[in-house]
Amino acid sequence: MIDYLVHEVVGRSDVRISADMPLVSSGLIDSLALVNILQKLEDVTHMRIPAGKVQPKDMDTVDLMFATAQRFGKARK
Amino acid sequence: MIQTLIWVLVATLLWLLAWTRRSSNTRYALLLLGSYVFYASWGIGFLAVLVASSLLNYACGLALRRKPTLGRLWVGVGLNVLLLGVFKYLPPAIASSSGFLGHIIMPVGMSFWTFQGLSYLFDLYREEELDPALLEFCLYMAFWPTVLAGPVCRLPNLLPQFRRTPVWDRDDISIGFSRIVQGVFMKMVLAQLLGAGLTRGAGVTAGFDQTRGGWGPLDVSLLAVGFGFQLFFDFAGYSHMVTGVARVFGIRLEENFDRPYFSPTPSVFWTRWHMSLSFWIRDYVFLPLAAMRRDVWWPYAVFVMSMTLFGLWHAAKLTFILWGVYHGLLLVAHRAGQKLKRRISNPWPAPVGGLLSWCATFFLVSLGWIFFRANDAGQAAAMLRAVVTPSGYWHSVLPWESYVVVCFVVIVYFAYHGLLAGLDAARARYSETMAREAGVFGTASATTTFGAATIVTVRVVDFFGERLWWWAAPTIAVLIVSVGAAIVRHNTAISVTPFMYTVF
Repeated sequence: MIDYLVHEVVGRSDVRISADMPLVSSGLIDSLALVNILQKLEDVTHMRIPAGKVQPKDMDTVDLMFATAQRFGKARK
Repeated sequence: MIQTLIWVLVATLLWLLAWTRRSSNTRYALLLLGSYVFYASWGIGFLAVLVASSLLNYACGLALRRKPTLGRLWVGVGLNVLLLGVFKYLPPAIASSSGFLGHIIMPVGMSFWTFQGLSYLFDLYREEELDPALLEFCLYMAFWPTVLAGPVCRLPNLLPQFRRTPVWDRDDISIGFSRIVQGVFMKMVLAQLLGAGLTRGAGVTAGFDQTRGGWGPLDVSLLAVGFGFQLFFDFAGYSHMVTGVARVFGIRLEENFDRPYFSPTPSVFWTRWHMSLSFWIRDYVFLPLAAMRRDVWWPYAVFVMSMTLFGLWHAAKLTFILWGVYHGLLLVAHRAGQKLKRRISNPWPAPVGGLLSWCATFFLVSLGWIFFRANDAGQAAAMLRAVVTPSGYWHSVLPWESYVVVCFVVIVYFAYHGLLAGLDAARARYSETMAREAGVFGTASATTTFGAATIVTVRVVDFFGERLWWWAAPTIAVLIVSVGAAIVRHNTAISVTPFMYTVF
């Protein structure tokens, strides 16, 4: 997930992202990126995450993203 | 005006009384009474709609707290949309009707507090742990500083602050008053100056409302920039005032503006302009909708839909819808440009690219204000046609005073922020120097004359900043006396335009 964020979302190899680094509140990722990340999270966790349940603050760090997937995600059929 | 000031005074007194109560229920009751007294001064019927909306949303919230299902959420959303439809969108459509429906007037600030109610329902559906009592929720909806024109607050931010034992904090009071002074200056001086001009007929308002048309390209550009700044000073000034009032009572509201005209891209602009509504649209409309489908084009379509809703939020008027669509398309164009930029090598050095990007954003955002302000779509089209007619560049219908005022205010605004940025940089240098020289004032100045000037400037600014109380209080007193004197003279000395966003 961190690799995806660094290369596909931020697009700068000089940026280091840790699991607890704020991404949304720091302005590093924007609303469109958030949508792509949510979809990537579904692929990585093999879960369906209802977007209506997710807030940007739930996706602020990589740790929070996985916690959100655990909380709201349902196994894909 | 005098009536409004009296109600503000009554509400303030009730709030001051509330702040002395230890019992939270008595405190909430007094705070709510103060808020309702203030709001009822605009019309007792308006208050009835606000109370009905509060009770309705609270009841929907109870249902969602028991079981957060999509069906229950949609019922709540539908009821809110129905209320908005009846009181906000229906009256302009049936203005000529002579029956009961023809007498419906939109309660002031309805779009703001309805969206607050909706955000509560969305948050409950998202299983946020929110358990407001009825009094707390009614206070959230009617909160005196924000009930007229926002910021659009969220319960998770306000509820813990309502529940805290009230204390008078010197810093909060100082910051609150300085923001009120800043807001009064932005609204009463800058927005007023741009709107009304220095002489009759030379303001932005007269420029847009003149009926003979015939604007030249420079006229339109000036009016667009002038109106953009007038709206900014008016609404940001208002936001400063209400945030300041709440802060005096120790309550921190959501920020609404963050130097929007310094935005390097349209996307950044929407994280700095009317932030409380912009983030509302992002969180409750854009994200859930955009994540529904995986087609590449879908999020871009949702950008346009979300921004159209943004425009429609202001009023069901074609010009606002066009303004929303225009900004939606700007956001799409920006994302497409970003993708393209990743594929091709950038020929510009970073500072030049940044400057070009800022110029383009400023120009495009300013151009968008024509849709927002034009009296109808025909006028907007005529003005935009004028901008793209190079042959008319030497043609102008605006008086030269208009150019002087708008250019002066805009230049002073950017110069002021440039100065602040310079001061921040100087402060950073000052800290470094002082740390290096072991904090002995005077030793560092031996380095250079520039270093000495930096230290003196920072010391002077900090001296006045730390003693804000000394100059803020007299400034407020002078302003109040001036406004009061003007009112007593039957508004002949000043004629203050109402806040622009109270009509939404």
